[in-house]
Amino acid sequence: MADGGTGPGSDRQGIGERVLRKEDKRFLDGAGRYVSDIYLPRTLEAAIVRSPVAHAENLKISPPAGAEGRFFTAEDMAADGVQPIHVVSKFPGHKGSDYPHLATGKLRFVGESVAVCLADTRAAAEDLVAGAEIDFNALPPVVDMLAAVEPSAARVHDDWDDNVILDSRFDANAENVSAPVSVTRTFRMNRQAVNPLEGAAVLAEWDAREDRLVVYSASQIPHILKNALCECLGLRQNQVRVVAPDVGGGFGYKCVLLPEEIYIPWVAMQVKRPVRWIQDRREHLVTAANAREHHYSVTLHAQPDGTFVGLEADIIVDSGAYSVYPHSNILESTMAGRTLHGPYTFSAYKVRSRAVATNKPPIVPYRGVARPGICFALELAIDAMARELGREPYDLRMQNLVPPEKMPYTTITGGEFDSGDYPEALRRSADLIDVAAVRARQLEGEADGRLIGVGFGCYIEMTALQTSAAARAGLAAIPGYEQAHVRLTPDGGLEIGVGVQNHGQGMETTLAQVACEKFGLDIDMVSVRHGDTATSPYSTGTYASRSMVMAGGAIARTCDVLGENIRRIGAHLLQCGFDETTISGARVVGPSGDVSFAEVARVWHRNPEDLPADVDPAGVEVTSGFRPSPDKSPFSYATHAAIVAVDPELGHVEILDYVISEDCGTIVNPMIVDGQILGGALQGVGTALFEESCFDAEGQPLSSTFADYTMPGSTHLPNIRLDHLVNPSPLTEFGVKGLGEGGAIPPPATIANAVNDALREYGAEVSETPITPRRVRACVVAKS
Amino acid sequence: MTELTLKINGEDVTADVEPRLSLADFVRDHRRLTGTHLGCEHGVCGACTVLMNGEPVRSCITFAVAADGTEITTIEGFDDDDPMTMLRQAFHENHALQCGYCTPGMLVAARDIVTRLPDADEDRVRLELAGNLCRCTGYVGIVNAILSVIEKRQA
Repeated sequence: MADGGTGPGSDRQGIGERVLRKEDKRFLDGAGRYVSDIYLPRTLEAAIVRSPVAHAENLKISPPAGAEGRFFTAEDMAADGVQPIHVVSKFPGHKGSDYPHLATGKLRFVGESVAVCLADTRAAAEDLVAGAEIDFNALPPVVDMLAAVEPSAARVHDDWDDNVILDSRFDANAENVSAPVSVTRTFRMNRQAVNPLEGAAVLAEWDAREDRLVVYSASQIPHILKNALCECLGLRQNQVRVVAPDVGGGFGYKCVLLPEEIYIPWVAMQVKRPVRWIQDRREHLVTAANAREHHYSVTLHAQPDGTFVGLEADIIVDSGAYSVYPHSNILESTMAGRTLHGPYTFSAYKVRSRAVATNKPPIVPYRGVARPGICFALELAIDAMARELGREPYDLRMQNLVPPEKMPYTTITGGEFDSGDYPEALRRSADLIDVAAVRARQLEGEADGRLIGVGFGCYIEMTALQTSAAARAGLAAIPGYEQAHVRLTPDGGLEIGVGVQNHGQGMETTLAQVACEKFGLDIDMVSVRHGDTATSPYSTGTYASRSMVMAGGAIARTCDVLGENIRRIGAHLLQCGFDETTISGARVVGPSGDVSFAEVARVWHRNPEDLPADVDPAGVEVTSGFRPSPDKSPFSYATHAAIVAVDPELGHVEILDYVISEDCGTIVNPMIVDGQILGGALQGVGTALFEESCFDAEGQPLSSTFADYTMPGSTHLPNIRLDHLVNPSPLTEFGVKGLGEGGAIPPPATIANAVNDALREYGAEVSETPITPRRVRACVVAKS
Repeated sequence: MTELTLKINGEDVTADVEPRLSLADFVRDHRRLTGTHLGCEHGVCGACTVLMNGEPVRSCITFAVAADGTEITTIEGFDDDDPMTMLRQAFHENHALQCGYCTPGMLVAARDIVTRLPDADEDRVRLELAGNLCRCTGYVGIVNAILSVIEKRQA
C-alpha cells in the first residue's frame, strides 16, 4: 500500500483535498503502539483496591498478606509529601474541594481508588486486591441531583453548607422574559460513559539515564499531565516527561487528569521499577468515565406569531464527587447556562444553572460538553411550542434562527457568532429529509401499525476555546498561542512538532496538508510528530474541537516564517533579490530559475560554506505560533434531521433516515470531516437511544459491563446523508472552524423530536435520554 | 501450570501457562503480539478477535489452554493473505478506521465475512459486524470497505 497516497484524480495534497491517511498503515498491520503495547523490563502490574460503597467515613485499610513493599495507600503518599488535586474556579461562590489520589478517611463514590497492589502479573495483583480488607462507617449517599439540592440531603463534602458547587445566574433583560404564549417542560439527559475502545492506561518509570520520570499515558493532554505531575509530586519540569503514544480514542475522557496518572508514577518511583496500570472496561464504566447528566426545567416564551421572546430555565448538572483537573466541575453547568439560547434570537433571558455534588464519579468532558444537553432541552421545547401554536417545527425554527445578515452576531449572553448561514443549514436539511413527503406518509399511516415522525435539531458549537473565556473561568489550563515547530530536514522534507495529540482525528495527515498547502511539497516528505513533551512545543492539548484551528494555524504561521528563511537562502543561490522570489512546488522560484527545497536544505545542513555571509543564523528550523485574532472562537453549526418509526406497542424506535447539513468553515480533508461527523453522530445516537449509566438508591453502579450498558453497533443507524455548507471563519487561518465534537451534539434532540412528532396523536412526549422502549411505552401508557 | 502446544501465525509454540491465562494475554504478554487488542475483556467488543483453526474467536474469553493443539492467526499473521490485503487497502481507501484500536479485530471479523459470505449485502454485513464495536467511525467506512471487497472478489 502506498504510504499516504491521494484520492483518485488529484495531485494536490493541500487544504481541501481528500488525502488518504498517513497513519493508517501501522493500525491496519496491527502495529500501532498503545500504552499497553509497551513493555519495559522488570515492569510490575498494578491492580487497585476500590471503594465498594458510595459514601462512608472512618476508612481503615488492612494490607493483604504477602504484600510487603507492594501495597500503597494515601498515608504512604501523604508521608512522601504528595499533594492532592485541587481544582478551583474564579467564579464567585464556587466551592472548592480536593480530589484525593487515593481515598483519605472518606469514601465518596463506588470505585474510588483506595490502595494500589503490585505484582508480576495483573492477575496476581488482583489476587492481592482480593486479600486487602477495608473497614468504614457507611453514610447515607447522595445519588440523585434533584435530591442533592434539598436541605435534608446528606453532604458529599463535610465542610460545605450544601451540595451546590456553583449557583450561576445568566440574566439579560430578565424582567421582560414573559410573552403571550409559553410552554414549560422538564427534561433529563441521563449519565453515560465515554467508552473509547481503549480505556485509560499508565506506564511509568524513573529513567536513570534521562534522570527523570517518564510517564506513558493514553492522554489527550500530555503537557497538562506533566504540569499536574510536577505540582502533585513536587518535581521540576525537567524531571518529568510524558509520552502519549497511539491513543485508542478519547472523546474528552482523556483530557482530564486521572488519579491513576499521579499515583501509578509515584508508586513506580517508590519501588524503583516500571509500573503499569491498564484500566479494564469495568473500571472504565464504573469508576471514571462518567459524563452528561443534566436536568432542565425550561419555559419558552413567544409572541402569538411565533417570534421567540424569552427563555427561562433552571438547570442542574450532576457533577459527581470531585472536580477534575484542569477543566473543573462547573464546565458543564456554566456552559449550559450561558449558551442555552442555541442559534436563536431572544430578547430576554433568565437562566439559573447549578452544578451539584453527588456520591458518583466526577463527570468528565465528553464530546459536545454540555451542548448535547442544552440542544436536547431547547429543541424539544421549541417543538412543544410549535405544537402549542399549531406550527410546523421547521417554520418556527426558520422564523427564529439568527439570520446571516446579522453576522457577526452578539448573543443575549454576550457571546459572538463569527459567521455562517444558520437558516440555510435548516433549509437544506429539510429539503433532504423531505418534510412534505413525511407529512403525506403520516396521513396514509403505516401498514405495520408503527408511527412515523420527523424531527430537527439545530445547534451551534463554540470551537477552539479562546484565551479570555478560559481565563475568566480560571481554569488550570488556559490556552494561549498554540505553537508549532517546523524543521527543514537535510533532504528537503519537513518535520513538524505540535503539542496537540492525535488519537483518531487523522491529524498526522491533515496537519501535514497545511504544510503542503503552504509549500506545495509531497505529503510523503512531511511528518507530524506529537504526543511527547520532550519533543513537542507546550500546548494545552487536544480538546474543545481546537486542534485543526490552533495547531493548523500554528503550522501555517510557522511555515510563513520558515518560508522566508528558505527564500533568503534560495535567493542567494539564485543570485537574485529576496523580493524577487516565491515558493511553489517545494522550490524557491526566482526571475531566471528555481532551486529546490532539497538544494536549500543541502546547503544549510551539509554545505554551509556556500551560505551567504549575512544568512539568518536562525536557519531552517522555526518555532512560531497562532491564536485567532481578535481572541474569539469560531462557531460551527449544523442542522440534523431524522425520520423515525415508533412502535407504540413495543416502544421500539427505528431510525429510517438521517441527514446532516453542517458548516465547519473551510474543509481541510473532506474524507476526514465526513468521518468525524459520522462517528460523532453515532455517539449521539447512543446518547439518544441506548447509553445510560444507572445507579441504585445506594449509589451502586448497575451498568458495569457492555451487557448492561448498550453501545451503538453496526446495525443501529442507516447510512447518514451528509451535506456541507462552507462559510469560512474570519478568525482563523484558511477559515477553518473546529469540527470534532459537533456530530454528537444534536442527535438526542433530533431523534426525540422525531419520536414526539410520531406520538402526536397520543399527545405523548418523551423528555429523557436514552429513549428506551420502556420510556416510550411509559409515555404512551400515561396518555392512553 | 499447564503445558500448551499450538501454532501461532505458522510458528510452533510450546509454553507452560497458568490455567486461568486468557488466549489474549498469552499472545500479547507472552508472545508480544500486541496487535490483538483488549477492549472489554468480557467478550462483547470484538477487538481481541483472532482466528482459531480458521474461525474467529474472542481471545479474551478463550483460555490459552483451550487453544492447545490449535492454529491461531493474529493480525500479525496475514501478510501473505489475499483477502486481508484487499481488506487493508479497502479500509484505507474508505476511511474505515480512526483511532485504530478496534481495527485488528474488525479486520479479522471482516475477513471472515468476505470469505464465508461472498454474496453478503449491506444488511448482512452490518448484522455480521454486530459483534465488533467501533467508537470512532459510525461503522459507515467499515461497511463500505467490506462491501467493496465483496464486490471485487465477485469480479
